[in-house]
Amino acid sequence: MTHHNLMTVKKTDMNTAVAIAKKGTHCGMCRIDFLGTGLCPSGRKHGFLAYWPQGRMELIKHLHDGTVQPTEKLIEIAESCSLCGICDKQCNFATQLRPEKVAQAIKDYVASLDKRTIQKVKEDAIITGLRQIVGEKWATNDPVIISSYVRSIIPPNVPLDFYVVMPETTDQVSRIVHFANTHNIPFLPRSGGTALSVASPTVLANATNLERGIIIDLLRLKKLEIHPESSTAVVGAGVTSFELQKETYNHHLRANVAEAGAHVCANIATTGIVTTWGNAYGCFADNFIDLVLVDNDGVIKTHHDLEITNPYSVDNGFANISLSPPYIITETTVKLYPVFADEEAVMVPFDNLKDALDAVLELGQRGVGLSLAVLSYKYLAEFICPTRQIATDFEDVCKNYLKLRYVLDVVCKKEDKKIVEDVVGYTINQSMLRTLILGSPKLASLKNSEFMKILSEEKDPLRAIFAGPMKKHLEQGLDATPENIAKVYDADLQEFFKKIYSKPEFTNVVWLHAFRILPSRLMRQRMAMGPGGAIWAGDKAHILKWIKMFADVGDKYQLEHALGFISPLDNGKFIYIEYDYFYDHNDTNAAGRISKTLLETTEQSLVLGNVFTLINYLFKGIYRKEHVLYPLPKGLTTEEDAIFRDVLHSLLGDYEEW
Amino acid sequence: MVKFLSEEWIEYGKRYIRSNLDPTKDLGNLTTSLIGVIEHVPPQDTTTNFYLELQNGQLSDFILSPGETITEKNPVFVITGTYGAFRDIFEGKVGTAMAILKNRIKLKGSKLEALKIIKQLDGLIDALRKVTDEFEE
Repeated sequence: MTHHNLMTVKKTDMNTAVAIAKKGTHCGMCRIDFLGTGLCPSGRKHGFLAYWPQGRMELIKHLHDGTVQPTEKLIEIAESCSLCGICDKQCNFATQLRPEKVAQAIKDYVASLDKRTIQKVKEDAIITGLRQIVGEKWATNDPVIISSYVRSIIPPNVPLDFYVVMPETTDQVSRIVHFANTHNIPFLPRSGGTALSVASPTVLANATNLERGIIIDLLRLKKLEIHPESSTAVVGAGVTSFELQKETYNHHLRANVAEAGAHVCANIATTGIVTTWGNAYGCFADNFIDLVLVDNDGVIKTHHDLEITNPYSVDNGFANISLSPPYIITETTVKLYPVFADEEAVMVPFDNLKDALDAVLELGQRGVGLSLAVLSYKYLAEFICPTRQIATDFEDVCKNYLKLRYVLDVVCKKEDKKIVEDVVGYTINQSMLRTLILGSPKLASLKNSEFMKILSEEKDPLRAIFAGPMKKHLEQGLDATPENIAKVYDADLQEFFKKIYSKPEFTNVVWLHAFRILPSRLMRQRMAMGPGGAIWAGDKAHILKWIKMFADVGDKYQLEHALGFISPLDNGKFIYIEYDYFYDHNDTNAAGRISKTLLETTEQSLVLGNVFTLINYLFKGIYRKEHVLYPLPKGLTTEEDAIFRDVLHSLLGDYEEW
Repeated sequence: MVKFLSEEWIEYGKRYIRSNLDPTKDLGNLTTSLIGVIEHVPPQDTTTNFYLELQNGQLSDFILSPGETITEKNPVFVITGTYGAFRDIFEGKVGTAMAILKNRIKLKGSKLEALKIIKQLDGLIDALRKVTDEFEE
């Protein structure tokens, strides 16, 4: 048995590699060049997920479990990795994992194989047809490659009855959809895959992923044109948020983009780009000027077609749920915005949510700030701290000593900064924020220290440390240097991270907000699920009640949980709320509790009414906010709640109710 | 057991529903109607339609129209999809709600009204599944 050979020849290495792989959450940060290292040469050349570090981490689990057998492509996957070390740097920044060990273990595994056991994958009529559309190289039915897509579009524990195809043009996408329909095969597009991976351990895995059929991997649609004269960009479906922002910044412009690894077109299709910049830049259909779409019949459409029926309207009742995109967006033209020379990031600490909410709503309604949000202490800690342990200790310091529970987080122009200071009294400026980022390990280490005990006895510890006499001591005491923060990384990576943290952008909070490389840390070595949605801003008691409901359900299921962020939309008329639950995605019990949490919070939100839940948000991104959010559905009646449960039964089959 | 989308399927389906589904308990005394439009039916890549109507939980009409659009009926819902999508539903691989919400089948008519009767619809599909296991590949 090949599987047994593997276990005897490289048992320790394979086990170590599998342990690393299991901690991966498909954040996709290995597919963007956010550290200036360049990209994985193997992934760039071969495209399919199995050739990227992310895919190798999924693949090795299947090799180890024996759910796939070696094929000829496995040898190519192993040999295509040059062990250049780029992935270790990228993954370490986000998750502290070492995917190169996984690549090495796959090489060792392949070296140990009896070559006679390697399978040759047979070509069938479907793969032949797909190859006629995209070319020989870009369609596969090789189970080794297919296995790398498990948990980011293929649900766990289903037969690998799939094809993967990588089109390069809209026309090819159209032909693939026609082909799939003619042959009665389901299909689903895949971009970054992170949203699908978040659903994968939960009861929603089968509802949102593809159970069998054709995976249309859109990575090769890489068109990217910046048009500074019209402040627009044309973006293909394979372009990530980071890639668009990087190119846009070269023209002194900014795009409104999702998390760095998210693909722009897919993000528009999914939630319409939910960001902290939404109050200034817009949401839903505000984000784009034009779309090129392929519908489920394979017909290519554009929003500028004269004959098109209104593409922006949609039902807005509670039942308007979609679990798949209505179209495949292959290209979009998005709006770009000016970058001002006097932009600055400021934060204001709060010890309670009500005051923080008051402040963000007032600023939102005044139109203050380009990016504007309230973050919880946990969100802040996860983002700026280089490791999980430091983040945990940092949270402890914030919560128990500084009484810092929330921060108002504003990127603003000079004149707006003055308004922020008038509204809230004092701010944490960019210089202090740089100190907090570089000094986060030291600050976290002060947990239980005499300094923190004295500080916590102050009447207003936040003011004392950020605007009072202790500010100077904090700035001096944190030893906030690139050298010091680099020391938390593995010895062989310290010099590299010293250079990274010496780059101005890695401590520039405006840049970090614009390029959004830090949210991946929410998913480091565990999964985060962030339900929430939109709610009118006018009824603060209703908002606070909604947030408390999320907290209560988190307590009920004994999950680590906290508010993620609150950000105004539409000149402060609405706010978007994300509430985060964290859990070990390899723990089926924890995944079960997350499933119940998701269903229960959705039901309670619908019963509460006047909210637009995340489940309703899904796949509404191409519609106008005026259609999506006006009016918000009223609370479910008892009869409607019974319908909701009937639908869940129909969707999910047997599941454990709450 | 009979072939999916055959006249026998209609006849066996009618008989099974009438004798096994209780108009009140299983079908909630429902009055509704739907046309199913099944595209890309193998082996000729044709389109087939069926019409199903319930009056107070009683099956009042269930007809097949291969190749021809049903124009004389005015259904509450029209559901359109590929043969593969319908096959998955009638084989029990995908639920009706799932097929609608995943856009595997297109729904003309109110989604809310469709979801309101999803329990009864699932019951009908279950019944029709009992009489067929023969599908085109």
